[in-house]
Amino acid sequence: MEAATATNAAQTKSIGGERLREALVGYAFIAVPMLAYGVLFFYPIAYAIYISRYDWGVLGKVDSRGWGNYRELLHDDRFWIAVENGLKFAAAFTVFSMALGLFVAVVVNNAVRWRGFFRSAFYFPSIASSAAITAIALYVLSRDGLFNRITGLDHAWFGESGTALWALVGLNSWTTSGTVMLFYLAYLQSIPTDVYEAAAIDGAGAWRTFWKVTFPLLKPGHFFVSTLMVIGGLKMFDQAFIASGGNGGPNNATLVPVLYLYRVAFADVRFGFAAAVGLALMLLMFTLTLVQRLSFGRTEAA
Amino acid sequence: MAGDVPTEKDAVPPAEAPLVPASPPLEQLAIAGEAAAGTTGAIPGSPALERARTIVVYGLLFGIAALYFVPFLWMISTSLKTLPETAHFSLLPKHPTIDAYREALTTFHFARYAANSAGLAATITAVNLFLCSLGGYAFARLKFPGREALFMAVLVTLMIPDQLRLVPIFVKFSEWGLLGHYHGYVFVKLASATQLFLMRQYFLTIPRDLEEAAKLDGAGYFKTFWRVMLPLAGPALAAVAILEFEGAWNDFFWALIIFNTAPSHYTLPVGIFSFVSEYQTLWPQLMASTAIAVAPIAVIYVFFQRYFVAGVASAGVKG
Repeated sequence: MEAATATNAAQTKSIGGERLREALVGYAFIAVPMLAYGVLFFYPIAYAIYISRYDWGVLGKVDSRGWGNYRELLHDDRFWIAVENGLKFAAAFTVFSMALGLFVAVVVNNAVRWRGFFRSAFYFPSIASSAAITAIALYVLSRDGLFNRITGLDHAWFGESGTALWALVGLNSWTTSGTVMLFYLAYLQSIPTDVYEAAAIDGAGAWRTFWKVTFPLLKPGHFFVSTLMVIGGLKMFDQAFIASGGNGGPNNATLVPVLYLYRVAFADVRFGFAAAVGLALMLLMFTLTLVQRLSFGRTEAA
Repeated sequence: MAGDVPTEKDAVPPAEAPLVPASPPLEQLAIAGEAAAGTTGAIPGSPALERARTIVVYGLLFGIAALYFVPFLWMISTSLKTLPETAHFSLLPKHPTIDAYREALTTFHFARYAANSAGLAATITAVNLFLCSLGGYAFARLKFPGREALFMAVLVTLMIPDQLRLVPIFVKFSEWGLLGHYHGYVFVKLASATQLFLMRQYFLTIPRDLEEAAKLDGAGYFKTFWRVMLPLAGPALAAVAILEFEGAWNDFFWALIIFNTAPSHYTLPVGIFSFVSEYQTLWPQLMASTAIAVAPIAVIYVFFQRYFVAGVASAGVKG
């Protein structure tokens, strides 16, 4: 061991510039990705802040607006509609996808045979293309579609302002529940079996065991998954965009935050204002995540 | 465990924001369901109770499976019908025909879109495999000043949401003439931080002896990476390739932004959107085109499930 260290040291000394060479090679190996991150991530943040202070049209800078874009944002009705839709969607989506995902995880976890098969099967909707999934939903949920046929209801689910957002909640909860299930399965596996044995000795039934033992022990899982779902819910774009033909209709019912941003940028062609919207949305997400973290922290202490 | 993709081998937080709490360990994700039978958390009870429980569990499993797959079966079934036949609600088409596929591929340009998707996804996968493994290796093994800070910067990119980058990237790309071009799209997808992170974590787990041996043989850094390390990183490379291909194949957001004004460059997801907006009720053709978009991922999934699972912890939720 000592001999090896000695030869190592000797080598370093004898080669001399080896350290410099290693450093240069290291920089060369990471050069392209780092350059890409700079151009595609860090520079755009600074540039977004810059653009957000201007009236910026299709041909570029028009006029400096100072904080005008931000002030306008606070008084823009559509912005608040979008925020409200986003929060409504994120809340409902979080609840439903977690409930469904947890339910499926518990069922799969209780299977002795074919567990791997069912786990894989239920995860499949999570990896199918969002555009394809939305197209299928448009068909199944159309007025003369399969869903109405089976349930006997009569709605054009994506076509009515009262149901469109809920159709999106249902669609996304279904596709994301597979991801939620995988997370919960991992957390379920980490619960030691003697806890269940103790509950069984106490004569607790399956239902009571779940609510009194399993559910509270899954708390780290609830926190982790809900944080992901809230952020994911606020970012939802593809499904709302495709289902509404890109306009957030009917009557702004599916105008979620990122779709609103898209409209401001590409339908109104107001890049300065859109950049301000992007920054405001990021702020909203960070705030929500912080609030979630703090509230979970408090219940943990209690 | 050589086949698994380790991730939490050191203290670096997983992908997603640092505000997000630690994800469950991946090794558990990978085994959940397969090897762990017996630790089901089952409550021991009388045989009759046990049987009842089994019946309930499998009843539920098949019920959920039906609910989850009816939409996909309905897609396939409709794609094999003619438009008049869609009025009859039968899962099995009476006169199955592939006319809808033929029309989708030719009249509605989905052959072109599929080729675009395949070409772009393959290019992006190849480029990222190379860049992320090379960068991951450097971050795992080579010593250079500022390494930790630069690696933090890589992780920070995962917290920057796409909607914030949308406007500045669009404005800059139009200035640089990258909009409506394949290379513009490849550029926007260049060097995924998630995959670079994954590769770095994997390289950290490979013992140093082999590298040392290569060095003593006088191999240079790149040769050591290419000849010694890369062949050892098979499982990680497979995971990166599959996740990257799936991500590029399914991506809607950036393809929409970059190719909006260039219909000949549309990928399948954008093609589906444009079809929906123009001919919404041509259901058989629409379902045929969605089947074309879903099928390749489904096939890959059947053969390489565990790599998809490995990506969950880092990918989190898709939008």
